[in-house]
Amino acid sequence: MNGNSRQQVIPPTHSRVKAGFVVYSPDSGNRELIILDEGELVAVDKAGGNRTVKFKMQPGDIVGVASLFEREPLRYTIEASVDSEITVLSEECLESELKNIPVWLLAILKNLAVKTRLLKESARTTPVENTLMSLAEYCAHLESGHKYAFEDLVREFNWITRIPAATIKEDVKALARRNFIAISKDGDSLYLQVHNAMLMQIYSDYLFAQDEGISWEPLRLSLPQKRILVHLTTLDETVEMEAPEWISLLNERELPIDVAQWITLQDLGCFKEGLSNKFHIDLKKIEYFLTALRYDSNLRGAV
Amino acid sequence: MLVKEGEYLFLEGDKASSLVIVKSGMLVGMSKQLRQRHWQNFGPGSLIGEFSLLESAPREYTVRAAENSEIVFIEQAALQRELELKPAWFRSTLSFIANHCHIAESNQKKHKIVQALPALLFLFSKHLSTSGADNIPVTTIRKKMLVLNNTDASDTDKLLQILEGIGLLKVEGETVRVSSLQIVPMLYEALRYRAINKQVSPNILSITDQLVLTAFVKAVRDNGIPLKNGHATVPMDTFESQAKKTLFGSTLSMRTLAPLLQSGTLQSEPAFGEESALENIESISGDFEHILDLLELNRIFPLLDKKLV
Repeated sequence: MNGNSRQQVIPPTHSRVKAGFVVYSPDSGNRELIILDEGELVAVDKAGGNRTVKFKMQPGDIVGVASLFEREPLRYTIEASVDSEITVLSEECLESELKNIPVWLLAILKNLAVKTRLLKESARTTPVENTLMSLAEYCAHLESGHKYAFEDLVREFNWITRIPAATIKEDVKALARRNFIAISKDGDSLYLQVHNAMLMQIYSDYLFAQDEGISWEPLRLSLPQKRILVHLTTLDETVEMEAPEWISLLNERELPIDVAQWITLQDLGCFKEGLSNKFHIDLKKIEYFLTALRYDSNLRGAV
Repeated sequence: MLVKEGEYLFLEGDKASSLVIVKSGMLVGMSKQLRQRHWQNFGPGSLIGEFSLLESAPREYTVRAAENSEIVFIEQAALQRELELKPAWFRSTLSFIANHCHIAESNQKKHKIVQALPALLFLFSKHLSTSGADNIPVTTIRKKMLVLNNTDASDTDKLLQILEGIGLLKVEGETVRVSSLQIVPMLYEALRYRAINKQVSPNILSITDQLVLTAFVKAVRDNGIPLKNGHATVPMDTFESQAKKTLFGSTLSMRTLAPLLQSGTLQSEPAFGEESALENIESISGDFEHILDLLELNRIFPLLDKKLV
C-alpha cells in the first residue's frame, strides 16, 4: 500500500489552439480530460441542430472527469472561444499516472466515482425496497369490488412509486395467488378487482411488521381475547360504559377478562374513550382484527 | 492497528481527518444521518471516511468491529505528501470528483423529495375521500409514506413543510389539516393526468380563463349574490362590468368566455351554443365552491415546480 513501484508515465499533451478550434467532439467517442491553461473554452450543445453554449471554462478549469472516472460520456462539444492553451490527458495517460499512486489513493478515486454513479442511478430507480408491501398499501386505497382497468392502475402505481411495470405485474400475481384480488378479462382489456380493501390494509400492515421485525398485533391475541372480540361485534357501538362496567359485563357473559387484559384490548384500539372516562367499542378496529384472524392463512401465503 | 470484536472505532459525528482501510476482519457501520435501518458491512478492502481525509468531514458512521479486525489509518499528511509528488491537475481532479460526489448527493436528496410528492398526494386524497375528515395524523401519513414509497419521516416532514409553504395544508402539531377537501385530490389528479397522458390537465386553466373566473367570483362577492344549491347566478351586465376591471380594461368577448362555457365550468342563460352571442346572454352561473377550488388549484400548481425544483 505504499505505492513504491513507480512505472513509466505517459505525459499529457500540451497544445496551443486557435479560436474556433474543436478540442473535443462527442462523436469521437474519446474519453479524455481537458485542462484549460490559458484562454477560454466553451461547451456547446449541438443536439437537434441547434447550438447552445452550456458553460464557459476559465483557466484552471477541467472537463471530462466524469467521462473518465464515472463512465458518463461528455455530451457537449468543447471549442476554443479565443486562442487558448490546453492540456489533454488521454485515458492511457491517466491510467499510467494512476499506476503510480498508492492503492489507497486509487481506491478513494474509484470509491467516489462509484458512489457518484450510484447516487445518479438511484434518481432513476424506485426507492421502494418491499414492492409487494407497497402494492398492498396502494390497493388498500382502492374501492372494494370495483373493476379497475389493469393497465391504468399499473401506470398510476408506477408513476407514484417508480416500481417497474414488470415487477408490479409479478406482485399483482402474488396478491392474486393469496386471493386478495382478482384479475378478469373483458375483450382485450384486463381488469383488477380488490375483494376487500381492508384486507389489503391488513396485509400491508402485516408485511410492515415483518419488515420491521416487530410482532404484529392480531397475532398477539390470545384465545379468550379473540372470543371477546367476536362477542363485541354483537354489541351496539354507541353504548358507553366505564372500564369496570365493561369488565363486569364481559365476565357476566362468561368471557373472563381482568383489568390487564382489558387495558391490552384498549391499547389495541378496540375500545375508544368517549366522555367522562367512558368507553365505547370501535367496531371498525374489531372488524380489522377479526378479518386478519379469518384470513390468517392468506396473509401467511399458505393458501 | 487491531480492533477487537465489539470494540467501537468511532461514533457518528466525531471529528476526523483520516481514512480507515479494513485489511482483514469485518467492521459494521450505522448512520442516523443517512437514515440507515440496518448495519452496513465493511469487509477487507473497504474504505471508511474518504471525506474525513479529504475535507476533515466528521465521521459519517458509528463503526464497531463485528469480529477481530485489522485496520490501517491514512492521515492527511500522507495525502499531502502524495499530492505534492503529482502534477497540479491531479489535485484538481481529486477535488472535482469529491465535489461532484457532493453535488450528486445533494441532488439525490432533492430528487427523493420531489419523487415522493405523488405518493403523499395520493395517500392524502384517498384518506380525505374515505374518512370525510379534513385532517390526517402526521404519524399516519409518515408510516404510510414509508410503506408505500419508502420515504422516511424526515423527507415526509420536509415535503409537508413545502406544501404548507404554498398554502395547500397546515401542520398543526401532530395533525395535518387542509383548508379545502377538494384541492388535494384535484392537484393529485392534475399531476397524474400530466404524467400519464403527457398533456396538461383540463383543470389547469389559461390566464384568461382564470381572470374570467376571478371576475365571476368578485361579481358574486361584491354584489352579495346568494348561492342556490352551491350555484351562483350573475346578471350579464354585472358580470361584464366586473370583467372589465378584472381583465385590466379588456372587454369580455364570446371568445374569452367560450372555453369556460364549453367545459361546463360556467353556464349561460340561454344555454351556450355555436350561435351564442354575448349580447343575448342574460346571466352567467356556476358552482361557486368548485370555481374557488379551481382558482386555488391554478394558484398552487405553478408554485409546486418552483418550490420543489
